[in-house]
Amino acid sequence: MSAEIIYEELDSAIETMLQDRATVTRRLDPSVGELLLLAGDLRCVPSPDFRARLRSELDDAARQYAAGVVQHQPRRPALVALPGAAPKQLRREEILPTLFGAGYGTYPVHRSNFLVSAVLHACALVLVLSSSVWLARHPQEVKQRVVSLVGGLSDYPLPVSKQKAGGGGGGGDRDKLAASHGTTPPFAREQITPPAIVIRNNNSKLTAEPTVVGPPQIKLPQSAMLGDPWSRIPAPFSNGPGSGGGIGSGTGGGVGIGAGPGAGPGSGGGYGGGIYRVGGAVTAPWVLYDPDPEYSEEARQAKYQGTVILWVVIGPDGRAHDIRVSRALGMGLDEKAIAAVRNWRFQPAEKDGHPVAVQVNVEVNFRLY
Amino acid sequence: MKAKLPETGLKALEAETDERLLIEAAQRDPRRFGELYENNFDHVYAFVVSRVFDRAEAEDLTAEVFHQALRNLAQFEWRGAPFIAWLLRIASNKIAERWQHSSRRPEVSGGELDEAGESDGIERRVMLAQLVDDLPADQRLVVMRRFLEQRSIRDIAAELGRSEGAVKQLQFRALQSLRNRMGERK
Repeated sequence: MSAEIIYEELDSAIETMLQDRATVTRRLDPSVGELLLLAGDLRCVPSPDFRARLRSELDDAARQYAAGVVQHQPRRPALVALPGAAPKQLRREEILPTLFGAGYGTYPVHRSNFLVSAVLHACALVLVLSSSVWLARHPQEVKQRVVSLVGGLSDYPLPVSKQKAGGGGGGGDRDKLAASHGTTPPFAREQITPPAIVIRNNNSKLTAEPTVVGPPQIKLPQSAMLGDPWSRIPAPFSNGPGSGGGIGSGTGGGVGIGAGPGAGPGSGGGYGGGIYRVGGAVTAPWVLYDPDPEYSEEARQAKYQGTVILWVVIGPDGRAHDIRVSRALGMGLDEKAIAAVRNWRFQPAEKDGHPVAVQVNVEVNFRLY
Repeated sequence: MKAKLPETGLKALEAETDERLLIEAAQRDPRRFGELYENNFDHVYAFVVSRVFDRAEAEDLTAEVFHQALRNLAQFEWRGAPFIAWLLRIASNKIAERWQHSSRRPEVSGGELDEAGESDGIERRVMLAQLVDDLPADQRLVVMRRFLEQRSIRDIAAELGRSEGAVKQLQFRALQSLRNRMGERK
């Protein structure tokens, strides 16, 4: 490429750049591209005129400072009062240097920031004090507001109570369809109206909120759609095949499979459910799918074998929950046993024809052949 | 017996001592501030222009920085950090203050936010500003007219009484010379 062509190409690219076009779209010779980058930086080089003018201004200002016409920003006053210094002024700057801007020549001082900060702190202080006073005067109300929190309702079994546990309820209006899914109404000491998904009488003379009997302190998750939380059927809507009002397959105006005005398995009100033990009216679960556990490499090399006993809750869904090791083997076999049982599927235990959670011990044998 | 310092360490120590002496002299007599200004002008200007991307605004801010530095020089306390760090802190505050009072905020690309890359860019601009002063007079004039004043080749040719081709050649030679000298300094 001849020199003239390079000069032209470079100048054309510079012209494009100076006209503030975002990119030079043409493909450039690499050497020209490098010079173009340099040209871009040259746009930011300071003007000699500006440099000289500013120097001149600064020299003038410096002469005025030196002559004492304009005062320099003074140093921050010393903590010890100098002879002849005004004691009142010194005291103010010591106490609130931010407000009075002492020694803040480098940084801008906004007094409004200080005032906003002071107001916010005062508000926070008032809030803390007033809430403390309120708490001190209303201990009873505070105590009553402490409630048991129950997580999402599901068919996962409640943990075993060390004391006697019970409760529950059920209902329905002899519908041919199973009750549809929803949430239980709130708990109340007395039940005036049993819950219903399908309202049979739309012209009630006296209406009352549907409730189930149980401790009102317990707040269960609520939604606009009442139903049986243990049901998996979203639609069609039905109160269930039970009797005595309410929702589900039980009796007595509650929700679920139990008897009484409460919710869940069991009878007599309250929130029923929990883990059963096999025996009596509770059938044993049995394994439907039990893939063999893997052998750990360490145990295989040591030719180690034996049996791990696991404490397992078989839920109504046929899966193993809350797996704990009851008798360990070690060498990584306990973890392998837990991993295997977690994948097993069971036919769940039943009570009165309904699947329930039961606690069982599962033996996992490790044998080398 | 004094330990012998490495040559680079010795130079840095000498520079630091010189700067400290200059600051103390300017604190006693503000008329000595000019030397500090000359030593630091390129850095401050390159720092400001890398953030505001506008020549007029960069000049305003640079002037404000040095005026404020002169006004508050008595408050400066030597703590081992170079004087330029103090000036750049003032510049940062000025820029932030200006952005606060203005609805417009310059676009900053991701590359510009990279601190190492930004520092390199500032150093390159400082070096470039110094090298432009060393160019031959005709090349320097072309660079000033073309890039600082953004005048056309035709106008520059008319001012210099030369052909447009000759001005384009001078432009090319100036850029080439700057590139070579920057390469040598690196």
